[in-house]
Amino acid sequence: MRVGYCLYIIGTLLGAVGLTMFFPVGWALYYQDDGLFPLLISTVITLWVGAALFLLFRPKQKMVMNHREGMAIVAVGWLAAGLAGAMPFYFGDVFPSVTDCVFESISGFTTTGSSVMTDIESVAKSLLMWRSLTHWLGGMGIIVLSLAILPFLGVGGMQLYKAEVPGPVPDKLKPRIKDTAAALWKVYVFFSVLLCILLLFGGMSVFDAICHTFGTMATGGFSTKNTSAGYYNSAYIDWVITIFMFIAGANFSLHFRAFTGDFKSFWKDSEFKFYTAIIILFTAIITFAVYGSNYDSIGESLRYAAFQVVSICTTTGFATADYELWAPIAQALLLFLMFLGGCAGSTGGGMKCMRIVLLLKQGYHELFRLVHPRAVKHIKLGGRTVHANVMSGIWGFFIIYMAVFVISGFLLAATGLDVLTSYAAVVACIGNIGPGLGSVGPAENFAHLPAFAKWVLTLCMLLGRLEIYTVFILFVPEFWKK
Amino acid sequence: MRLFHREPKVDQLKVVIVGAGEVGYHISHRLAQEHKQVVVIDQQEHALRRISEGLDVQTILGSGSSPEILKEAGVADADIFLAVTDSDEVNIIACLFANIIAPNAKKLARIRNEEYSQYSDELAENLLNISAIINPEVEVIKSIDRLLSMPGAVDFNEFAGGKVKLIGVRIEHGPLVDLPLISFRTVVPDTDVIIAAIVRREDLIIPGGSDILQKDDIVYFVCKDTSMESVRRACGRSLDPIKNAFLIGGGNIGFRLASLFEEKGIHTKLVDSNPDRCSVLAEKLDTSLVLCGDGTDQEFLREENIAEMDVVVSLTSDEETNILTSLLAKNMGVKKTVTRVNKLAYQPLIQAVGIDHSVSPRLSAVNSILQYVRQGKVLSSVSISGEGAEALEAIAEQNSEIVGKPIKDLPFPKGTLVMGIVRDSEVIIPSGESVIHPDDRIIILTTPENVARVEQALLVTLQSV
Repeated sequence: MRVGYCLYIIGTLLGAVGLTMFFPVGWALYYQDDGLFPLLISTVITLWVGAALFLLFRPKQKMVMNHREGMAIVAVGWLAAGLAGAMPFYFGDVFPSVTDCVFESISGFTTTGSSVMTDIESVAKSLLMWRSLTHWLGGMGIIVLSLAILPFLGVGGMQLYKAEVPGPVPDKLKPRIKDTAAALWKVYVFFSVLLCILLLFGGMSVFDAICHTFGTMATGGFSTKNTSAGYYNSAYIDWVITIFMFIAGANFSLHFRAFTGDFKSFWKDSEFKFYTAIIILFTAIITFAVYGSNYDSIGESLRYAAFQVVSICTTTGFATADYELWAPIAQALLLFLMFLGGCAGSTGGGMKCMRIVLLLKQGYHELFRLVHPRAVKHIKLGGRTVHANVMSGIWGFFIIYMAVFVISGFLLAATGLDVLTSYAAVVACIGNIGPGLGSVGPAENFAHLPAFAKWVLTLCMLLGRLEIYTVFILFVPEFWKK
Repeated sequence: MRLFHREPKVDQLKVVIVGAGEVGYHISHRLAQEHKQVVVIDQQEHALRRISEGLDVQTILGSGSSPEILKEAGVADADIFLAVTDSDEVNIIACLFANIIAPNAKKLARIRNEEYSQYSDELAENLLNISAIINPEVEVIKSIDRLLSMPGAVDFNEFAGGKVKLIGVRIEHGPLVDLPLISFRTVVPDTDVIIAAIVRREDLIIPGGSDILQKDDIVYFVCKDTSMESVRRACGRSLDPIKNAFLIGGGNIGFRLASLFEEKGIHTKLVDSNPDRCSVLAEKLDTSLVLCGDGTDQEFLREENIAEMDVVVSLTSDEETNILTSLLAKNMGVKKTVTRVNKLAYQPLIQAVGIDHSVSPRLSAVNSILQYVRQGKVLSSVSISGEGAEALEAIAEQNSEIVGKPIKDLPFPKGTLVMGIVRDSEVIIPSGESVIHPDDRIIILTTPENVARVEQALLVTLQSV
């Protein structure tokens, strides 16, 4: 570990985050609201710290990043970005405590969307814009963005890329990492612009359209309204957001292939098929569960069921209905979706469909081997054998994920929260979803939790976004040995 | 109708490489360093992992001879296709399919089998449209031959058909030791000799006037073929023609080298441990003495009077054995040894343990392949000091950036040196004031990171069709 070198790269990342703060500054100037001073001072501090790290630790000769350093840079870099992102809330006096500021900022960058804001509409619009922008930056990834615009990260960039991009085996779309990152961002920006235009047609203001676009494409879930996307009560807006949440929860490599004219890869991809099938099936079941009891028409039932299912499955966390009023079966299905999450290589969180598909295949494989003990059979995905290393990586991920879930749940319950709230809050944060069940359901928020619980959940959000290993490795003694 | 045709920008060049072995690894390493788009195909997952973890390239698992895999690797829009696996057959088939998928890509194949090489022209032109067939064994024989022609040289390369030489010599004694470069001309008044680079403890230095030569530096001289004697004198060496040679390892390379030595009238002893191979060799060779024995057996070597040999060449396929054999021979009093070392990672160690010459078929193959990958009219490309620097020989084209300016004003990055200019048949060892004319052949020394910039300068930027 060359600490200086890592700090140099982190300084660069902070510089990039600082530059993005100029976007909400522009809005503050436009609206002449209270956000201007807090945003400006945060920008200056972030840029100053970034530049100081960059200049102080600038290596004299060219260095090549190794695997360990890549992991450390991503984990610490995300934490640093989260702290930088908390500054505007702190200087703007949005929250009473530092804990809340950091919680809100990390919840933004990790695209969780769990909020501690009780009255959203009273906060300065420029600060809300920053809150939504953290989603959009974190969705595709600050590292992936940096790789696309900072060419000198090219060498060793693969280490950073692997540490940040979700999924067991990250795809390299182009021979060079710089081009891969740029391709992903182009797709991301394209869908964002398209969604923003469609939302404007639905009658949203420019400000709301941009914020909801950020929340949707990043599968984040921060809204500018107290009642989330339900505020508009418009079938058109609901369906547009549903469709784009679905797009954002699918693998961006597939979207990229579609852009190059290869639409077939959608139907060749087992994970995408599983993702689509689950969403259709669950939507159908929940539609019937809520038809008659909660909603009168089948069309309305379908609209609300589809929105909630896609919102939870892609880990966005927008809400148009309070699903805690729905039948228990509907809530149970949604709870399962919280664990499942989106596809690998998407902006969604959770455990990712690909891992669940592979674990199911592994389970079937074991049964099959009991019937044919001598059979030679490999686990395949899309016609390709999945290497044993990848499988054991997924097992390890699954076990640690569940362990984090259980232990964090204990910690939350220890603060006196009820069991449902404790566990649902942990699932909602580690899966980067947003709303949970109990007293952190879609109609409530996280503001009433004790500070200790908020810190635990903040860590869970980071663990979930960086897929456990990247963060946990920093706590393994072996990692720090020479 | 295109009025103007823009050459592909150097860093947009896409190269597909089949084979992630030693040759494939080093080529992709070099090209990735130059920010080219590189895709590597191999069937060995661990070989690919070594590449994908260390280099910014895309890797694809699968057989390079499968058209499906080639398509997946994007051969269709590749500019250059390199088939460098260990198997000639896979390389040929890969080129065959690559030719169907991308007829316009430049294709290179590494082919070692002698029988195949005999048909190389047919393969290249008619059947597969391969631009060049690289035979590492032939290349390595050439470098051994060159090395032996200059005593004390650890590295020896020729440009412009032999008119310009680049010679790396380790300085142990003589007038050059502790000499500041500023007074180089007082020792070597011959203006056709310049010092291009110095390698000091594995570091490559492109020297300026204030640098001082130290004992055990390897100094790279550039000189005209007529000035070799000046270099020799400066280094305090004399040329002893080789009369007898001792070759250990009777594989393909050993056999070819023995045949070459026979032609030159050098008395040759060739050793191999396999009796069957020995009898084949004895059948094929005329004047050489074929011996069946173990090259690391001291008794045997002493019996064969190894100490009296002018040169011992160890060429078995096992590099560790070769290194030990050479050290043993040195110990027994042999003046000159040449060692075949395949692993490029060993290259910096070789000089440290006291072996004076090493050759590597793979490095030779990498060099000859890189020459074809280079943009612009690059005639040859040579790695110096392992892979610390690269020497390029290119033709200065009418409209490129380098023509018509004094060398000191050229848009080259720091650490890049124009070592020689060949105009018609005249050789100029340039100074900062020399001007490059169109159609000159120029020889440039540069570091790998700067190759892309140099290539850009060599390219014709706007070319009317």
